[in-house]
Parts: sequence; structure tokens; C-alpha cells
Amino acid sequence: MFKLDRKLIISATVSALFTASGIAGTASDTYSNGKKVIDGGVTYPVVDSKRGNYVISPQKESYMHGRLATKNELKAWNTDVMPDGTGLPKGSGSVEEGEEIYEEKCVMCHGDFGSGGGGYPSLSKGNAQEAHATLKNQRNVPNADGPVRVFGSYWPHLSTMWWYIHDGMPHPKTKSLSSDETYALTAYMLNINELTIDGEEIDDEFVLSHDNFLKIKMPNVDGFEPKIDGPNGTDNVRKYFANNKNFGAQKVNPADRCMKNCQKKSAKIVRIKGVGISDFLPPISVKRDLPESANAPVVGQAAYEASCAVCHGTSSMGAPEVGDKDAWEAVMIKGITTVYSNAMNGVGGMPPKGGNMDLEDAEIKEIVDYMYSLSR
Amino acid sequence: MSETLRSQVTRRDFFKKAVSVSAIAATAILLPKKASADEPEIMHHAKWGQKLGYPVTYNRYGLPSPYEHNNLRRNTKLLASGNFQASIAVTPIHESEGIITPNGLFFSRSHGGVAEVDPSEFRLMIHGLVEKEIVLTLDQLKRYPSVTRTHFIECPANGGQEWRGPQFNSLQFAKGFMSCAEWTGVYIKTILEDLGLKKEALWMLAEGSDNSEMGRTVPVDKVLDDAMIVWGQNGEALRPEQGYPVRLLLPGWEGNLCVKWLKRLEFAKEPWYCKEETSKYTALKPTGKAIQHFYANEVNSTVTHPSPEKPWLGLKKGEIVEIQGLAWSGMGTITGVDLSFDGGKNYVKANLKGLVLQKSWTRWSYIYKYEGKPLLLTSRAMDDAGYIQPTIDQETSIMGVESVYHRNAVETWEVTAEGMVNHVQIRS
Ligand code: HEC
Ligand code: HEC
Repeated sequence: MFKLDRKLIISATVSALFTASGIAGTASDTYSNGKKVIDGGVTYPVVDSKRGNYVISPQKESYMHGRLATKNELKAWNTDVMPDGTGLPKGSGSVEEGEEIYEEKCVMCHGDFGSGGGGYPSLSKGNAQEAHATLKNQRNVPNADGPVRVFGSYWPHLSTMWWYIHDGMPHPKTKSLSSDETYALTAYMLNINELTIDGEEIDDEFVLSHDNFLKIKMPNVDGFEPKIDGPNGTDNVRKYFANNKNFGAQKVNPADRCMKNCQKKSAKIVRIKGVGISDFLPPISVKRDLPESANAPVVGQAAYEASCAVCHGTSSMGAPEVGDKDAWEAVMIKGITTVYSNAMNGVGGMPPKGGNMDLEDAEIKEIVDYMYSLSR
Repeated sequence: MSETLRSQVTRRDFFKKAVSVSAIAATAILLPKKASADEPEIMHHAKWGQKLGYPVTYNRYGLPSPYEHNNLRRNTKLLASGNFQASIAVTPIHESEGIITPNGLFFSRSHGGVAEVDPSEFRLMIHGLVEKEIVLTLDQLKRYPSVTRTHFIECPANGGQEWRGPQFNSLQFAKGFMSCAEWTGVYIKTILEDLGLKKEALWMLAEGSDNSEMGRTVPVDKVLDDAMIVWGQNGEALRPEQGYPVRLLLPGWEGNLCVKWLKRLEFAKEPWYCKEETSKYTALKPTGKAIQHFYANEVNSTVTHPSPEKPWLGLKKGEIVEIQGLAWSGMGTITGVDLSFDGGKNYVKANLKGLVLQKSWTRWSYIYKYEGKPLLLTSRAMDDAGYIQPTIDQETSIMGVESVYHRNAVETWEVTAEGMVNHVQIRS
């Protein structure tokens, strides 16, 4: 093993290799097709029937499971919409119609004119161009305003909006809007973000359709890096992540990393302001004790006597008698989860919840636990 | 050999070894602990030891001891886009052991709730720029030869609430937007060899069948490297929260890209611009430009013991403890972790332990003699792709404080003289 690793150190494709303390792996920054790894990381070529730490089976076959998709199936599922209009169905809708649908199906979460609220995303913060101008804002000094990232100021393409509304909204009942309704809502989104078409502001009369869709240019269309469009798209990404300066990462030769006096004089401790965010659900606890509900067997006993003992206090009703170990052993062969659910939903001569529908599911569980505790 | 003699010999042996192994260990043995009063736990029979336990039939699917009821995923309103269907519940990594997250504690993130998929109605469609456009049932998919790999999945917003300063006095919330599991599935490249991927295909759309129809664009480079379609999680079917019956797994890459409740893979020349790769999951820089298609979770680490949830209360001066933590990198394999006691001014080398796997959680350890003095514990990991965790200053100098995603700068726990642990940051 060690011999093999040494040999690999001098092989050109292996960029980093560690044999110390048993760390396995033959990492390479290049794929087998000769291209550099796309994400700035490494890949693990198969060496000696192993991919890093994992042994690989050498057998290879053609499998061809499944079947060909039908034309209609492809059409039914291939509903995405791309920036160049691929996938956009024919149709149209006006800002006015959009506002109506919005008031009916969206406003309860996204607020008046898309203002957001209660944690639901804002769909507009007023004029898109003005909001777009805030994207360099940084809240690195007290009371600074942050960047405004909403549809109008931030999204690069309109296609994303149409597609998302059509397939992903309204949240409580997605995939329920027609194409025309989606055009109308998308038009309304343009309107509340004060976007333009051919230099004209999009007003209430505006009708969005498959014909004028591609004329809408979003203010932040050039706001993203690397450029991913066209035949060099993935190569641009590759180049971008090959330079750690682009994304705030640090590269180091392990031997050269700083171990002593690594900080500036100005380094200081920053603490959480107040208690910070602490509305944790449930509150944090690392206690190892019984949950509160487990300490209340009395409830089980009283409720048992009130609702279940008529049948389970005797063997004559066909119910497993409390205290009869053999009978309960036979019951428990199903596993406790099934037994709970039988007690809740009824089984054979056992009525749902023993006939007392006022009992909560948790109470039923408690009673069953109580009955079983006397029967094993 | 008499009992006394045997114990003398073994004790002497033990001393010799201990002394030669490490000075720390020797001191530990030489410090006699005072015998206390007889403890009832030992003097009386335990109550569970005198009655019959429950039969093997009782739990057909085993559950944790009821005493473990606080080991839970947790959430907060801040991390919800209005409701808990578009939200996240995070993993109690302070209670995590080893490098595997139990399925019930794996962090859960959804954009339209956890889908309840009927596996008999599950279909996977693979189409677009392939010679054969196909549909697979779950059984047919599982007929492909399987591979099993241990990988973490991390939400790129892990730590993303703390670009401008620490906010969570909690390890679970500061770093628990991630988990690690052993996944079983098929390499997508294995299926593509059957289907014939066309040369001009550069991108793959992965789409979920859930309420939000979660979609993301993946470069074919990753698909042909180590991308998997997985159905197994730690030896059983995926949990609904992890995409039952099938999810995409892109080892090391943003959790959001690992589309759950998978229904469709389409290949094309151009990328798609899904909602979750434009509106969200893009990292805005101070230049006003945002990084899109930011894939790999960079090298990262944290101290798990001690931590705000696991303080050193009651630890006495001179006692020996293990400082422990996790390290992970979506770019490769962890090669080392350094530990600082003064917030990152000076570092010593910590030790990796256990399995050290690609794009996986890795445990690290440092045995420490507690001095009863305040400390600033900072860990710093490195990977075999050549990266090291940046300082907060280094990272913010390029990314600013508004990018939300992919924060991997070193993090610091302040240990007080009383052994309490607080989340702090060191910035200049
Ligand atoms: C029950 C509340 C609810 C209703 C009703 C609702 N939405 Fe949403 N909407 C949400 C949530 C929650 C999200 C965020 C989802 C996520 O996290 O991925 C969202 C996200 C969006 C977004 C993306 C915002 C962004 O900037 O990322 C758009 C656009 C949107 N909704 C449009 C609509 C439209 C149009 C309607 C009406 C047809 C609608 N929504 C109805 C809850 C709702
Ligand atoms: C009207 C009579 C009656 C009452 C009242 C009644 N049970 Fe039953 N119970 C039965 C009978 C009969 C069975 C056996 C059912 C069978 O296996 O066919 C049964 C079975 C059960 C079982 C075993 C289920 C299994 O999976 O085998 C449980 C647990 C149980 N009852 C709990 C309760 C609880 C709790 C109550 C009170 C809330 C209750 N029962 C009240 C008649 C009753």
C-alpha cells in the first residue's frame, strides 16, 4: 500500500496525496476526460480497483432497466421554462387579471402589493431599479441598510417567475394555476416591481403573453458570476472555482500554514448581542431523564378504570384481561406500535378508543402502557 | 498467581506503559480520587434488574430509550419563510457520536413540506439529450448495481446567520444544518452508459415531485463523476424528510442541490435558472455581483466537546479531558485539524480519529489538561484539495457580510473560568 502511494506522488495527475496516519486516497484535481474538477475540489480516480477508500467491483455490463417514455408522458412532466422561452406555453394575461387572482390566492401570505410579512417572502420592494442599486449595500457598520433582494431587483430572468408560479405556487395548492392565470400573475409581479417593457413602465393595462415575454429585461440580468450560458458555460464555472480568490476560500501548503502569532493586533472578541436568537423549539436541554408524561401513571389507572375495565377487567368479554400474562404476550407479538393503533382505531370486538372518543391519542397510549405494565 | 499479586503485576505493567506513552496519562493515574460515601446505585439492586423487561416482540421498530427524549431536531421561527413547511429543523450535533447521524435526527429542510410519496406510484423520468428517454419504477431503479458511500449533506446556509456576528449560543443552531449518513444508490453515470448521453449535454435538471417541485441545475461534470441517485440511508429506506423513496446525492455539494422526492432528470445544452439557484442559494458579494452555481461546501470544522450545550461544568483544574470535534469538506478529504486555545492566535495540531473518508464528517481529538482558566477554543481544518479554513476577516474581506451562504470561517467558543461555553467570534 505504501509503495503504491509513493509511486503515485510523482504521477502528474495526482495533486495531493497523504499517506500519513492512514488517510487513504488518491486525490486528483483532474477528471479522467482531462478536464479540471469543476467545483475547485478534487476527484478520486479509480486506482488499483479502489476509489479513495472504497473498493470498486470491476464488473461492467449494460443493464437497460425501465422502458422508453411516451410522448405524452414527456409532455406532462417536462413543464420547465428556460430563459430563452423554451417550454413557455402559448397564452396571455393582464396585470388587472393578475391583481384579482393575487388578491384571491396570494395576498394572505405575500401581503398587499407583495410587501411580504410574517416571514413570508416579499415579492416587491417598490421600484426595481432603485432596489437594484442597493445590491452593494453591506451591513458591516451599525444601522446600515442591507441589499434588497427581491424578484425585481435580483432575479436575472423572467422565465424563473413564470415557471415557479406555475409549478410551485400558491403554496397551499401548487400546480393548480392555468397558463393564462400564470401570465396574469407574472404580469402583476412586473407591475408591482415597476418594471418596464421597451422603456415603458408596465401599467394596469399591460398584457403579458408568449409574444412579448422575451422583451422583458430584468435589471440584474448581468448580476451573477460566473457566466453559465452558452457552450463555455461549464468551463467558465470550472475557471471561476479554480481561483480561490473568487469565492473567499484560502489555499495553503500545509507545511506553511500559520501556527504562531497568526492574528493582527486589532483582533478582538465579538459577543452575541443580548441573548441572540434563542426561541428554539423545543428549548435546548441535554438532560437525560424521563419525559414528563412518563411520570403520570395515575392518569392511566384512572382512565383505565373509567373506560376500559368493563371489558378488560375480566376474561369473559373476549378482551385480553389485564394481569393475564399469556394473553398480553400474544397481543404484544404485533409490536407496541400496532397495539397502540388498534387501541385507537379498534380491532375485532374492541371499539375505537374503547368507545370513549373524548380520550386523546396520547391518553390511549398511557392507558395501554398502564394495562401492559400489570400484565407482563 | 494470587489475586493481590496479579493486581500488583498488572498495575505495575500499566504504570510503566502509561509513563512511557504520555506524561499526561501518568499524572491522571497518580491523582487518586477520594472514595466517597457508599452510593445507593451500587448498594441497592437496580429497579430494572429485578423485574421482567419487555419482550423482544414489544418494539418491532426500535426506539431510543425514553431517557433520550431531549435528543431532538430543533427549529426556530427565524429559520422559516413564513411557515414550517418552508423551513428547516436542525441536527443536535452536540449529541452526535462518531460520523453517522441517526436517521431520525438527520436535519430536515423543505420548501413545501415533507412529501408523502407512495412508492408504488413513484416514477423516475430521465430525458432530454440522451439517446433513450426512459421511465423507471422504484424496483427497476434498484435493479441497477448499487454503491454505498458515507457522505455528509450540508445546507449551504449552515452558519449563514452569523456573517455579521455571532447570534446563536448553541452548537445545534450554529453548525447543525448538516448531517452525515451512509447512502446506498446507483451512480447516475452507470445509468447514462445505458442511455447514451449526447455530447452537447452540459447540464442536468433535477426536479422533485414535492409541493414546491424543487429543481436545480447540475453540471454534467459532476453527474459523470460521483453523482448518485440514492434510496438507502444508514441501512434502511430513506426517511421521508430525506426524500423517500429517492433523492439525488451530489457528494460534498449544497444540500439544496441534492434534490429530494426526485421525479425527473433532464439533460440540456443550457442551464435552467430555477428559483432556488437565482432568488436563493446565490451568494451576493460587496461588488454587487452574486456567485451563482456555488456548489461545494468548503472545508469546515467545529468543536463539539465542549460546546454551549456541552460545557465543562464541574471539571476540575488538573483533570484530563478530550476536546473533540467534527471536520468536513465537500471538496475532498480532511487532512488535518489545528486547535487554538487563544481564539486563533496560536495553533497546535489536533489528531484525526476513526474513519477518514472523502466528503464525509471526520472526527478529531485533542487530549487536554484543564487549567481552570478561560479559553478561546478555535478549530481549523484542512483538506486534500489544498484548502484551509479562512479567518473571519479573510472570508469577509472577499465575501462581505451579505452573502448568506457558504460561510466556513473558523469559529470560536469562549470557555469561562467556570467552564461555561459561549459562542463568540474573533474579528479585527
Ligand atoms: C400559504 C402561504 C402562501 C400563499 C397563499 C402563496 N405563497 Fe408564494 N410563497 C410562500 C412561501 C412559504 C414561499 C417561500 C418558499 C420557499 O422557501 O421556497 C413563497 C415564495 C414565493 C415566491 C418566490 C419569492 C422569492 O423571492 O423567492 C413567489 C414569486 C411567490 N411565492 C408567488 C406566489 C403567488 C403568485 C401566489 C398566489 C398564486 C402565492 N405565492 C401564494 C407562501 C405562499
Ligand atoms: C366493549 C369492550 C371493550 C372496551 C370498553 C375496551 N376494550 Fe380493548 N379490547 C376489547 C376486545 C374484545 C379486544 C380484543 C380484540 C381482538 O383482538 O379481536 C380488545 C383488545 C384491546 C387491546 C389489544 C389490541 C391488539 O392489538 O390486540 C388493547 C391494547 C385494548 N383493547 C385497549 C383498550 C383500552 C385502552 C380501552 C379503554 C380506553 C379499551 N381497550 C376498552 C374490548 C374492549
